[in-house]
Amino acid sequence: MAVKKENVRNFCIVAHIDHGKSTLADRLMEKTGQVSERDMEEQLLDSMDLERERGITIKLTPVRMFYKAKNGEEYIFNLIDTPGHVDFTYEVSRSLKACEGAILIVDATQGVQAQTLANAYLAIDNDLEIMPVINKIDLASARPDEVATEVEEILGIEAQSAPRISAKTGLNIEEVLEQVIEKIPAPKGDENAPLKALIFDSYYDNFKGVICFVRIMDGEVKIGTKIKTFMSDKQFDVTEVGVFSPKMQPKDSLSAGEVGYIAASIKSIEDTAVGDTITGVENPATEPLPGYKKALPMVFSGVFPLDGSKFNDLKDALLKLKLNDAALSIEPDNSAALGFGFRCGFLGLLHMDVIQERIEREFDLEIITTAPSVSYKVYKTDGTQMVIENPTHLPPVTEIDYMEEPIINASILTPPDYVGPIMELCQYKRGVYKDMVYLDKSRVELKYTLPLNEIIYDFFDSLKSRTKGYASFDYEVSGYQRSDLVKMDMLLNGDICDALSIIVHKDKAYERGRQIAEKLKEVIPRQMFEIPIQAAVGGKIIARETVKAFRKDVLAKCYGGDVTRKKKLLEKQKEGKKKMRSIGTVEIPSEAFISILKTDNDR
Amino acid sequence: MAGIYIHVPFCKQKCTYCDFASYPRELGKAESYFACLYREIMGRAKQYPDKIIDTIYIGGGTPSVVDANLIAGAIRQVKKCFTVRKDAEITIELNPGTVDKEKIKIYKQVGINRFSIGLQTGYDAQLKKLNRIHTAKDFLECCNLLKGENISADILMGLHDQTLDQVKKSVDLAIAGGVSHLSVYALTPEVGTPIYTDYLNGELLSDDEVADIYDGIRAYLKEKGFSRYEVSNFAKDGFYSKHNMNYWKRGEYIGVGVSASSFADGRRFTNTFSIDEYMNAIIYNKSPEISSDIIEGEDAKFEHIMLALRTAAGLNIKEFNEKYSANFDEDYKDVLQKKMRYLDRNGDILTIKDEYLYVQNDIILAFMN
Repeated sequence: MAVKKENVRNFCIVAHIDHGKSTLADRLMEKTGQVSERDMEEQLLDSMDLERERGITIKLTPVRMFYKAKNGEEYIFNLIDTPGHVDFTYEVSRSLKACEGAILIVDATQGVQAQTLANAYLAIDNDLEIMPVINKIDLASARPDEVATEVEEILGIEAQSAPRISAKTGLNIEEVLEQVIEKIPAPKGDENAPLKALIFDSYYDNFKGVICFVRIMDGEVKIGTKIKTFMSDKQFDVTEVGVFSPKMQPKDSLSAGEVGYIAASIKSIEDTAVGDTITGVENPATEPLPGYKKALPMVFSGVFPLDGSKFNDLKDALLKLKLNDAALSIEPDNSAALGFGFRCGFLGLLHMDVIQERIEREFDLEIITTAPSVSYKVYKTDGTQMVIENPTHLPPVTEIDYMEEPIINASILTPPDYVGPIMELCQYKRGVYKDMVYLDKSRVELKYTLPLNEIIYDFFDSLKSRTKGYASFDYEVSGYQRSDLVKMDMLLNGDICDALSIIVHKDKAYERGRQIAEKLKEVIPRQMFEIPIQAAVGGKIIARETVKAFRKDVLAKCYGGDVTRKKKLLEKQKEGKKKMRSIGTVEIPSEAFISILKTDNDR
Repeated sequence: MAGIYIHVPFCKQKCTYCDFASYPRELGKAESYFACLYREIMGRAKQYPDKIIDTIYIGGGTPSVVDANLIAGAIRQVKKCFTVRKDAEITIELNPGTVDKEKIKIYKQVGINRFSIGLQTGYDAQLKKLNRIHTAKDFLECCNLLKGENISADILMGLHDQTLDQVKKSVDLAIAGGVSHLSVYALTPEVGTPIYTDYLNGELLSDDEVADIYDGIRAYLKEKGFSRYEVSNFAKDGFYSKHNMNYWKRGEYIGVGVSASSFADGRRFTNTFSIDEYMNAIIYNKSPEISSDIIEGEDAKFEHIMLALRTAAGLNIKEFNEKYSANFDEDYKDVLQKKMRYLDRNGDILTIKDEYLYVQNDIILAFMN
């Protein structure tokens, strides 16, 4: 169907987590007839099992819709769904680049939250037209007018005309569609100019090669067009172009203003980096599109196959995941305790969790992960500098002049009642108070700088439990800061277990050492001998616990009929042992490595 | 060298910890059941004609609840169908309160020469809680009827709030009754038994508490002249259970009746646990077996090690090498190196050190492939 560019709208939806982004997206598709109500699986765009289970969007998904407006004109809407979690801010900014506008959903009961702010600012930074929508007005506690005022006061965006909707019940969805036409500008761009297509995502298809998700800014692309990207010299022949409805639907061509996909038998994802610009080999554009900042992994963790022989499977899995997750970094790693594996870098803890779960589910691999770390800058006495992402790589203390750790600017939005407990928490996490602003009578924004390594333990959980879930949190990494850090090793029966070493602030070493030792005592099963668990800093023992030797581990009876049964019991015990790792003479269960994360609870 | 096991799946009432094939309500089927037993004995004898039988064991259930003549019939059938050595050890399990002079006379006449009595504990309150049918006094009376015979008793450790002193008193009671053999078991709460609920509720003793009792009772029995010849079995010199020793030597045995297991010609097999299914199978000339596995290669070797290391006699490496054409020291070099500190080696004999016999799973597991 030929629709003129003036009748195309490219937009995304941004919101704080749980404010109803995916539900609204589903509703829009339903209203525009993309899917019938009956066929509709709940939350169509969240296609990964994991996304649906957790109620979060991880990967962005574009979809194309047709809408016949009240003015009688036909419109094409390209909706690019965006992830809602702070860890995926990077992916949000990718989708924003492909749009002219953003629907900002605000929950009519909760009002503006931390990520409402963060995402709205991100959209403003990207020069998008923001269209607020107030959702969940079907709830008894909804206060749409107040929330509209809040949006105006806090964000400075006109919101009185914002549609008051219930994405859940389908109320006033039409108004959203009409306002998209009215408020969000049509794409600019010139069909006759040289091709410029922004790659905002990609994934690998076994038959078609890399599929690039693109927004055509200028020009036109069709089957047979010879293309290249700015970052690589390779040329490809386009084999297929198309749009998302929401399944991929081939088309003859894509032209300026459109959102769709390009396949060109591209074998390696490296050749089509997300953020890169595709242009034509003949009549190429001279300048690439601005693209975006590369996402830098901030949290690092060791990922090892539970079964050492599955190293290559793990490698394949990680490479495949990396294909459409530019933010994931992988480096080969090896540990005396865990064997061969990878040091992976993630955007944040949720990202880490998601990747780990995807490895286990989509690739059916059991893995062991180590406690996450951040990257430290080490300034050595010989004047050189190094970046450490793995505590075991830290040079000896005598070679270290000083170290720096990453610092974040944190913004916490909370009802005033919880300011005290939050300040206490931030203090405990070595935070430095920056500012406190009353956004309105029911909301305070607290600003702190905090070391990132304090956040990666259990900051979210502590914040949640201290504020009954009312506070929301957002952060950005602001830089590095000199800090008094030490490496703490854990010794099991006298042997250092490298996979359990952590870098910690000197003042916190005693406490963390004690907590980890206690936790390990809980998770390490009793064995044939007594196992001392020690935490040590620079050869000095700072905490100690003991796992007593077991006293009874025997099959009490073993007569004629028992032989087979007992053998099976032993086989089961043996299976369990396979999931253990040996540190010297001590066997420790794989979950021990991650359990030390969970020691920081509120006491 | 082979044993015969005869299972009698009847009793007066179920004990709270019992997960054996024993059905108090089916006692009325005893006669037909024994008719089937006789038939299975005949069939197994044809199947395994060359086995020389040197032990027979009648277990249950409570074998003494059925007519003694049925028991006698079964023994006679074994003797008729198999080659049974003259000096064979023939054991029957019985419970206090289920035997009288007459029964014992019949048992003795047919050649039963060893009596294993279920005592479990010398405390009436504990007996009642376990749903046992007898008292401590009944036990002594039972022993009195068996005066001068080779008697064994079973005792349980790990009951609700049990103390070492109580287990010692139970041992004293058994010794007063004249036993020359004692099996002292740690109670194992099996899923589906009433006592499993108590276990889940944490009402039974912890492993550490049981281990304390075990260590105490082991020392106590030593004082009394009973040596530990297997994890849970203690006896005066010359009174080891030959039938059970055969299991731990990985010797052959043929089990008949409901739930009975056999090991013959390298095959382990087990009969159905249902009385009706069993009788139907026998009557219609079908196999009562519900499982059958040929044990060979590494499996066989592992079984041998697992069983031998339970005993004080230990593993005879020379015999092992001959039996499996193996080179034990070479084949298990790594394991031996890793676990040697828990083991004793005396010439060809490998044993688990005394103090580690009760934590042997970890050692045995190292030998598993």
